Amino acid sequence: MLRVLTVELRKLNRSLAAALAIAAPGLIAVFTFFNILRGKTAQPWDMWMVSAAGIWAFFMLPMSVTALTALIAHMEHGPRTWDHLRALPLPRWTLYAAKILSVFLVLAAMSVGVFAFTWAAVKLAVVIKPELAPTGVFDASAYLTALGRMYLAATLVVVIQLWIALRWSSFVPGLVVGIGGTFFAVVATAAKVGVFLPWQMPVNMLATEGWRLQTALGLGFGGGLVLLALMLWHLSRREVL
Amino acid sequence: MLAIETRDLRRRFGPTLAVDGVSLSVPRGCVYGFMGRNGAGKTTTLKMLLGLVRPDAGTIYIAGRDALVDRLGAVRCVGALLEAHGFYAHLSGRENLDLTRSLLGLRRTELDRVLDIVGLTPDAGRRVGGYSLGMRQRLGIARALLGSPEVLILDEPTNGLDPDGIADMRDFLRTLPARANATVLLSSHLLGEVEQVADRVGIIHQGRLVLQDDLATLRAGQAPQLRLGCDAPDRARALILSMGLTPDPDSDRITLAPGADVRETARALNRGLVEAGIGVHELTPQARSLETIYRDITALTPPAQKEAA
Repeated sequence: MLRVLTVELRKLNRSLAAALAIAAPGLIAVFTFFNILRGKTAQPWDMWMVSAAGIWAFFMLPMSVTALTALIAHMEHGPRTWDHLRALPLPRWTLYAAKILSVFLVLAAMSVGVFAFTWAAVKLAVVIKPELAPTGVFDASAYLTALGRMYLAATLVVVIQLWIALRWSSFVPGLVVGIGGTFFAVVATAAKVGVFLPWQMPVNMLATEGWRLQTALGLGFGGGLVLLALMLWHLSRREVL
Repeated sequence: MLAIETRDLRRRFGPTLAVDGVSLSVPRGCVYGFMGRNGAGKTTTLKMLLGLVRPDAGTIYIAGRDALVDRLGAVRCVGALLEAHGFYAHLSGRENLDLTRSLLGLRRTELDRVLDIVGLTPDAGRRVGGYSLGMRQRLGIARALLGSPEVLILDEPTNGLDPDGIADMRDFLRTLPARANATVLLSSHLLGEVEQVADRVGIIHQGRLVLQDDLATLRAGQAPQLRLGCDAPDRARALILSMGLTPDPDSDRITLAPGADVRETARALNRGLVEAGIGVHELTPQARSLETIYRDITALTPPAQKEAA
């Protein structure tokens, strides 16, 4: 399995995955940087770090997952490598498991990027306007815990998006589902039922009501694992004609 | 022992019976030409051998292993080229090969070996996106050769090549069993090309294997022909019939009895025609090509079954 995962990561070499991994958290940091500079008074660290995590979970994470899964699936659909890969003496499920593991690795790097780039953006803004230096405690473990929960709650979205991207060689179905899911997550933010919407599960990690957080985390992570098993079973059995 | 053996392979796609009772027997160490028109069922059969398509019925043995029971064990003995695509254009030829080498758990020295066999060493560092179709085909064969598999399955290896590329590929395929110590099963719709490289052929037509034999046996079993050019074809025809030969009504060819001595028959025919006052300007022995054999066989084959699913 490690061999297949290593190969998967080597395929990403010189692809646009690295650009995507930097761009999404980078854009949040750029927004945070200019947002600080337009302020008049200093704000607490929580204000900037939690806002950045919120933007990530609310919009950037589902959109990045949509783009990343499309990119990783199209590395095989585009040059039509499935027949070659599936004819190799390897258990087929490992090919698909390596795909999802590589998505999770890039997503983990992006989550850390949100934390690190936002911190750097705040520090840089303070260099320009020292009077806006954030107040309060920089609670790194709390911010990383929130990002970690978002990461786990995103399991279901990642599996849904990757399954669609691998199943159909056109990138359109994956994009439609990803954009549609994110759209409903945005327009129905306040809806109670939103906690059951996979695209809204990561942002529910910032919910103040405990049941919302627990439900979204349980469904996002647990449901994601169940769906992952189904995905591996289905894709390794299906014929690619 | 056979390198590949199938029995009554069958596969239906909707109402179409794509492969209908195909029983291949590919002896070890030979080049087997698997021929048929586009859509005849060649690729579906090859995909079944590789475990990419499940047969509805039948059995597949590769190097003695039951491919339907032990897919991994069977395909471990196989290297395959399915199409000239299947490469990551943003990576170099060597990097592409190295991905497969890693997946197969082979030594790094394998890369140099297979690149050398296909003559691609000087271009191995270039990105595949800049390769010609011929180079991609050779890279595909290099990838199939990784790990020195006992069996090579090559689907249309000359597809898209220019005449020089086809000639190079022909020379390469002819010597492949000796160089790689492998059995080669190659599919093609270019009969002339198969004829020049194969030891044994199978013809698939409308999903059915309508002929399978050693090429030498096939040629020996075919009645030889003479090509006649003369100034009085109608008179010549009567004379030919009187000599017990069979003139082709639609061409200038005369078919001899199987096993007949072509030179002796030509001599006798020429003498008879000249004595009858018929001027002869051509009398040439004609080898029966694979194409004529193919045409004869497929013309005799009734249309394929098309059943409701």
